Amino acid sequence: MDTALPDMPSTSRKIDIAFILKKSLVSALVALVLFSLMIGIRTEAGPSGQLTYWTRFGDLAMMVVAVFAGSIVIEWLRHWWGPVETIRVVPPMAEKALSLAGRLVAPALLAFTFLVPVIFYDQRYILDLGILVLTYVMLGWGLNVVVGLAGLLDLGYVAFYAVGAYSYALLATNFGLSFWICLPLAGILAAFFGVLLGFPVLRLRGDYLAIVTLAFGEIIRLVIINWQSFTGGPNGVSGIPRPSLFGIPMTAADDGFAARLGIEFSPTHRIVLLFYLILALALLTNWVTIRLRRLPIGRAWEALREDEVACRALGINTTTTKLTAFATGAMFGGFAGAFFATRQGFISPESFTFHESALVLAIVVLGGMGSQLGVALAALAMIGGFELFRGLEQFRMLVFGGAMVLLMIWRPRGLIGHRAPTVFLKDNRAISSDLVKEGR
Amino acid sequence: MNAPLLAIRGLRASYGKIEALKGVDLDIAAGEIVTLIGANGAGKSTLMMTIFGKPRARAGRIVYDGRDITSVPTHHIARMRIAQSPEGRRIFPRMSVAENLQMGADATDGTPAERAASLDKVVTLFPRLKERMTQRGGTLSGGEQQMLAIGRALMSRPRLLMLDEPSLGLAPLIAKQIFDAIRVLNRQDGLTVLIVEQNANHALRLAHRGYVMVNGLITLSGTGAELLKRPEIRAAYLEGGRQTDAPAAG
Repeated sequence: MDTALPDMPSTSRKIDIAFILKKSLVSALVALVLFSLMIGIRTEAGPSGQLTYWTRFGDLAMMVVAVFAGSIVIEWLRHWWGPVETIRVVPPMAEKALSLAGRLVAPALLAFTFLVPVIFYDQRYILDLGILVLTYVMLGWGLNVVVGLAGLLDLGYVAFYAVGAYSYALLATNFGLSFWICLPLAGILAAFFGVLLGFPVLRLRGDYLAIVTLAFGEIIRLVIINWQSFTGGPNGVSGIPRPSLFGIPMTAADDGFAARLGIEFSPTHRIVLLFYLILALALLTNWVTIRLRRLPIGRAWEALREDEVACRALGINTTTTKLTAFATGAMFGGFAGAFFATRQGFISPESFTFHESALVLAIVVLGGMGSQLGVALAALAMIGGFELFRGLEQFRMLVFGGAMVLLMIWRPRGLIGHRAPTVFLKDNRAISSDLVKEGR
Repeated sequence: MNAPLLAIRGLRASYGKIEALKGVDLDIAAGEIVTLIGANGAGKSTLMMTIFGKPRARAGRIVYDGRDITSVPTHHIARMRIAQSPEGRRIFPRMSVAENLQMGADATDGTPAERAASLDKVVTLFPRLKERMTQRGGTLSGGEQQMLAIGRALMSRPRLLMLDEPSLGLAPLIAKQIFDAIRVLNRQDGLTVLIVEQNANHALRLAHRGYVMVNGLITLSGTGAELLKRPEIRAAYLEGGRQTDAPAAG
């Protein structure tokens, strides 16, 4: 045991070599058992169909030695970085600087986002990527209302994205309605579907709710595929009109945006418009969420996440509270869907698979459920990272999975794991998640 | 005596096939503290939840302030100035103390001034909560969480406060503080209180009247002092009949 004197700084840590060796030996043993068949013996079909096998004890030994050495390194690192009994004292100066930097992250990020089309005007790839990231930021913020605030695990969020996209696509191609009329309609229709999903799942929570929402997402997709006469089935809907700047088309025509301003036409104008459009939609989502959190309805969502029985005892109507959460989240999903349709110009059921739901949910969870900035950073990391690691080809998912596992080990509550209180008496102090035990 | 604030007649309720309340009669007059004692599974908590409409009564009537509330939706009952601190406290662990308290007032139709007055009252009653306002509910100690649960219930300016085992899992000294606070509320504001307790000694001393519940039925009733003197109560609920100091009426 630790025999350090009380007045000695206890920062010096003793490395328990016997313990590390023991753990590594166990790991090596497990590796030996596992790999003896997987690597030690190689089987193959012989020339006349019989089974031939040969041994590869050299490879096996190398593997086991690698596991042994690797576990020593990991145990040793854990020893250094693991929890200590001493309290790390950060100088107050540094703490102040850190909190100031923390407060500046969001405004700086926002300012940078506004400038992206100016800075990267010539780089179509960056602009497209920015639009993609912002779409997922918006989807993340929308799902955050349902999952992060109201605590209703929704695995079928893509359904509302699809409803929004098809609402715009079908209304625009069949009735010639403009994007700006269809946008609110898409939101309303998606919200309606949110309520439709909400009713049967009112009494469900946790795993059961997840299963039903997952099924709901699949149902919507299958309906779209099979209702050929209405949705075009697997062929999708094409020729979806591009958005106009409040009636001014972004084309090279005489009444187009460029001609009216008297500047030379460039296809980039449309991309920039799309960029600012999704930025505005995402910021709207963020603003509404922040406002709602300070109102009784937002507080009721959060209370519902914490304890449904207590909510009922306090006179909260849990039915309407849940339905509004579903409807609000779905509405933002619908907006994002309408945007997606107008950006792509073509949609098909393939864009609305479970993979999308999982991705958006991963963004919300990685971001720290309920944190607006966290969700934005997670969307940037996930979608941006996806592009960044494109060079790794088939190993991309491996790197990604590894990164997610590491993140969940080091920051189990997500990137930004604290929530800002909404009721203030005197000073506005954020509460660190480290101080709090897991709810429920 | 005027008509009671809460009158329950022949109340029956069940969870599936298991009948938890088998015809309960109970009265609470305005300004009274009434204690309901009984063993585990006697139906005490069920009675409290049934008053709130979860589960619904199968038969019988619940009349509050002259109005039949037997089939009123749960969230409406809470607005009729009946407040409840449910079993196990059930505070919102990840929300701050201030937000927890605010939740108590959110569903009621009080004006901002009335809410501020309620908040004032709660922090005067439990000064500990004032120091903890920005802390998360989950970081409070058990006693503080109980204070928060009662404070949250008081935020709706109730006429009838129902407390389910307020002393559960608390150190005796803290439990005494909680009971003292209930007494203050009753004496100063004339708040009517229903306490469901297993800690019979404490609760009966505090109460004006008490009821004993066994297997979904009320078997005994009387003033707190009377019940404390009865040998069967002492045997069943006061630590196996061990002599405790002389009971005094609350």
